[in-house]
Amino acid sequence: MSTRISLDGVDKTFTNRRTGERQQIFRDFSLTLAPDELVAVVGGSGTGKTTLMHLIAGLERPDRGTVSTGGTRPRLGMVFQQPRLLDWTSVETNVRLAATAAGIDTTEVAPILDAVGLTEYARSYPSVLSGGQRQRVAVARAFVVRPEVLLLDEPFSALDELTARRLRLLLQQLWLRTPRTGLLVTHNALEAAFLADRVVVLGGRPAEVVGEYRIDRPRPRSPEDPELFDVHRRIVAALT
Amino acid sequence: MTVTHPVGAEEVVLGGGRSPAPPDRPPATGTAARLTRPLPALLLVGLLAAGWQLMAHTSDSALIPGLGDIARNLADITTSGALGENVRVTLTRVTLGFAAAFVVSVAAGIAMGRSEWLRRFLEPAVLIGLATPGLVKALLCVIWFGVSLVNPVLTVALAAAPALTINIAQGVRAVDPALGEMAHVYRLDALTRLRYLWLPAIVPDLFTGARLGIAMAWKVIVLVEIFGLADGVGYQLNLEFSQHNVAGVLAWTVAFALVMAAIEYGLLQTLERRAVRWRRVALR
Repeated sequence: MSTRISLDGVDKTFTNRRTGERQQIFRDFSLTLAPDELVAVVGGSGTGKTTLMHLIAGLERPDRGTVSTGGTRPRLGMVFQQPRLLDWTSVETNVRLAATAAGIDTTEVAPILDAVGLTEYARSYPSVLSGGQRQRVAVARAFVVRPEVLLLDEPFSALDELTARRLRLLLQQLWLRTPRTGLLVTHNALEAAFLADRVVVLGGRPAEVVGEYRIDRPRPRSPEDPELFDVHRRIVAALT
Repeated sequence: MTVTHPVGAEEVVLGGGRSPAPPDRPPATGTAARLTRPLPALLLVGLLAAGWQLMAHTSDSALIPGLGDIARNLADITTSGALGENVRVTLTRVTLGFAAAFVVSVAAGIAMGRSEWLRRFLEPAVLIGLATPGLVKALLCVIWFGVSLVNPVLTVALAAAPALTINIAQGVRAVDPALGEMAHVYRLDALTRLRYLWLPAIVPDLFTGARLGIAMAWKVIVLVEIFGLADGVGYQLNLEFSQHNVAGVLAWTVAFALVMAAIEYGLLQTLERRAVRWRRVALR
């Protein structure tokens, strides 16, 4: 099912519990993600990227305005900056729990682990895996639920560049199997240009859209595509 | 911002580029190591026994019986079946009471760990429970419930629950909130969260609380059985005491200590090792 996501006139303010200081992250902020569109949001630290993601994921509520995900709460797949795995149970169980909760047949766990190249580690504890392998588990968990909305919160920022590049390519291939509405939050403008249909640049506080770029390149994309580097340069220009 | 040169798309194929196979698991701990592990504790017991025997021999008093007398009493209560029967009765009471405490403590501890309001609401009850002497709990339960099973079960539950609850609450507060967000996003139900998130995450605190709770339980069950019941290890201790049989009192005490040691080393430590096995695997 294709899901449209829209934030309309959203206000969000955080109050520091100790100092009482208030920080308004969003004021009358609006953004729409079309069905099956992958939108990347880039911006400096503190520009509300993660808050935006948390609003869509239902982890935060707006002070004012609406976050609409098509009437019902869509099935979410989310890859966090850290994999957020249950270290005391196996790789297979980590993925299976998400599948079961989403009503997905658990026979789909093995194929997704195969797709991310972790079949041999299915019965291992996540704690024995490398950072890249752990993030692969998180990717498998996000895709096994057949998400209607995929949320990627700086998913590869904690990885070395070589591992991150491989996972970007893996993510693109999984995305090509079943496109769905998605939001990618990243600091990496090239990553945004490579993966997204549209890149939104946030800046200022309260945050506002300071740049928007549509990436009309067919998939699968090559990371060597010079057009992507051109978009990357424009995004960096908007950021600075 | 760093511009890097990504690898070619052809380098990653779904299901290809597999991670290397997991390394072989290291061999299990050797039998010799397992056999030598309890040696320090056995050495201490041996030294205490030798010291006791020396004291009994030099004092030559009926109040300090020798190891031989104690062993004979222990053999008598074992062969007569009294030991097995009374230990079974006492253990049943402790098990039921501790099980009740465990259920209540897990619910209350998780609630206190997750909700500041509930922590403030329940904390006075927990602190009062911790501060109230086991003797008072035992006496009140004997007065209120007499010889019924409710008496020892409730006393044990009241004794074990506060320490268990406060440790669980501390454990839950220390759980990474990011895991809670993950569980929310993936809509894990309450039972799944309890089984796969909260309980495994608080295992160290759970076992600390369980040890304290069981230690309190042993103390109060003996009191309850002395004051208000007609069987169990506590009752037998009181019986031997009333007959001025110090060797008998010590025989029951030794037997009781052996049962407690078996539960600690045979049950609790085994369960704990299994529960935290993932940490040892990670450290290899």
